Amino acid sequence: MNGNTIIFYMLAALAMVSGLLAVTSRQIFRAAVFLLFSLIGVAGLYFWMEYNFIAAVQIVVYVGGITVLIIFSIFLTQQAGELLPKQKAGRQLMAALAAFCGFALVLLQVLQHNFKITVQQPAPDMTAIGTQMMGIDEWGYALPFEVISILLLAALVGCIVIALPAPKEEAGAGI
Amino acid sequence: MWSFSDIANNLHQWLYANVGSTWATVIEMVLAGIAVITLFAVLGLVLVLMERKVSAWMQIRLGPNRVGPKGMLQSFADTLKLMVKEGFTPGGADKFLFNFAPYLSIIVAMLLMAPIAFAKNFQLWNINIGVLYISAISSISVISILMAGWASNNKYSLVGAMRSGAQIVSYELSAGLSVITIVVLAGSLNIPDIIHSQANGWWIFKGHIPVLIAFVIFIIAVTAETNRAPFDMAEAESELTAGFHTEYSGMKFALFFLAEYVNVFIVCAIGATLFLGGWMPLHIGSWEGFNRVMDYIPSSLWFFGKIFLLIFLIMWFRWSFPRLRIDQLLNLEWKYLLPISMINLLLATVMAIGGWHF
Amino acid sequence: MFLKTYIKDIYTGVTSLLKGMRRTGYYFTHHKEIITQQYPDNRATLNLPERFKGEVVMTHDTNNEHACTGCTACELACPNATIKIITKFDITPEGKKKKAIDKFVYHLELCTMCNLCVEACPTGAIKMDQTFEHSVFDRSRLTKILNQPGSKIREGVE
Repeated sequence: MNGNTIIFYMLAALAMVSGLLAVTSRQIFRAAVFLLFSLIGVAGLYFWMEYNFIAAVQIVVYVGGITVLIIFSIFLTQQAGELLPKQKAGRQLMAALAAFCGFALVLLQVLQHNFKITVQQPAPDMTAIGTQMMGIDEWGYALPFEVISILLLAALVGCIVIALPAPKEEAGAGI
Repeated sequence: MWSFSDIANNLHQWLYANVGSTWATVIEMVLAGIAVITLFAVLGLVLVLMERKVSAWMQIRLGPNRVGPKGMLQSFADTLKLMVKEGFTPGGADKFLFNFAPYLSIIVAMLLMAPIAFAKNFQLWNINIGVLYISAISSISVISILMAGWASNNKYSLVGAMRSGAQIVSYELSAGLSVITIVVLAGSLNIPDIIHSQANGWWIFKGHIPVLIAFVIFIIAVTAETNRAPFDMAEAESELTAGFHTEYSGMKFALFFLAEYVNVFIVCAIGATLFLGGWMPLHIGSWEGFNRVMDYIPSSLWFFGKIFLLIFLIMWFRWSFPRLRIDQLLNLEWKYLLPISMINLLLATVMAIGGWHF
Repeated sequence: MFLKTYIKDIYTGVTSLLKGMRRTGYYFTHHKEIITQQYPDNRATLNLPERFKGEVVMTHDTNNEHACTGCTACELACPNATIKIITKFDITPEGKKKKAIDKFVYHLELCTMCNLCVEACPTGAIKMDQTFEHSVFDRSRLTKILNQPGSKIREGVE
């Protein structure tokens, strides 16, 4: 067991333990913070594999974006500081069952897949990632990128329309 | 002539020759950690004193002048006071998160130190996505503020944390866009590559008006991101007592305080790397003699000189401008800085494609 | 039109900020402007501003005469009852009774240095002094009698 393996197990333990705590915690803010640690653990695993770009994107999107959004919505909720009510035994059972099914499915795949041990490949060059993202040839992502852009643009416009102040009533319309 | 990179290389070779690779790695990690912590301590002492002296002179005062010669030891006295103070945890607070938040803020600051090139070939971690790494990690720092504000169980802290969150999330955009301007021109995210692209002139001189605009926007946005006046709404003393760290005392408060100053140092280091050429000495065209003289100044001195210049600029802002209201703050970002930096990025891209910079 | 005001806003904003920075930068580089008084180090050479107000005093000339007629205008003007004038009746040489002050009682501990008494005085008998080292061990010693013992009103002051 060398240093590399130790670091892997530490990161994996961080991701899994904090994931478990996020589910079992009865304070919603703590659950969000543990979720954050779990995501950071996953990002750490990417760093460990030297896929720095994916790790950075994981942190930017999940930690800097989504978790902050979750925490904001917790702040804006009434009675966010109180303990969550305990769930009914039946519901807990069902949730555990669902989680177990998911876990079993993943485990089955992992065990069945024939992993080949490869030599350490150099992490992909940033320029390669950039050109791939904008490429229009066989492995290019230009079209999905543009489609997602349009989706996000529609979402933005929708937000602005919702946030607009209601149009003023015509003068003398309602007496 | 000795330099930081030579010392580091010699140490590295000596360790590998004498104690084997695993232990050498462990020892190097410990040494790097000690170096970063020492740098933090020195920065805390120097920057607090600098801030107090600068603010005093700008407000026609004398500033600290009693402890030690010309008040130079004032920050040692302050540190001693903070160390012996009781670190009190309020009764209604969420104990775990309350005590964890200051450490998270300092850990984030330490992580940000990793890819900064302090001198020629002297860097903790030469990561290929340096600039992206910095902007990713710095987005975690908002979590520690939100955590502290929430865990204090105090309405001032919570309001401070909310304001800080809104502010950091919005100003990250224009800071990121102005960083991307330089990335577009340099053609790399790697910090040594960006510095080497400035060997024949710093970007602020080479890049014409788009880089100048990007520099101004960068300075404004990072001032907001580090929660300093005129954007110190998160800790606005006159409205929120101290914002998110109202309930903190003793060393835990000191960690927040230190993290604030270290963050200022880091953003100034990034600004110096991107716009002022990192550790590159100042070269002017074909003045051979002048360039030769400039080369004799060590690269680390160049880098720290540039950083402290930018820190002084940010302190100058702090002691000149009044605090913004939250609506003015968000107006400034979303109506002015963001559109300008987007158009600016477009201009810079056209310039980079056309190769119109020097 | 919109673009014009937008650019104008940015221009005026930046110029006004630069103006502010110029002022603070001037102070930063000109240490002669520093106004801090390092009291008590410079106690001998202390330079107090003209409008600094320390306490109310009554001016007496060399003949131990003051200008207070005991009209109580200052007592009425005082917003927090700092001044209490106790009057007596002198017998003039012509055998007439004349009102004069017995004691001008001044409670320094209540005084806010608002200067209203000095402005109210019709004869200019009292003024604000610049002494400020007023600390004593007993509160009662802050109650002062401003007219000196044996003093009397100056001739011709009505």
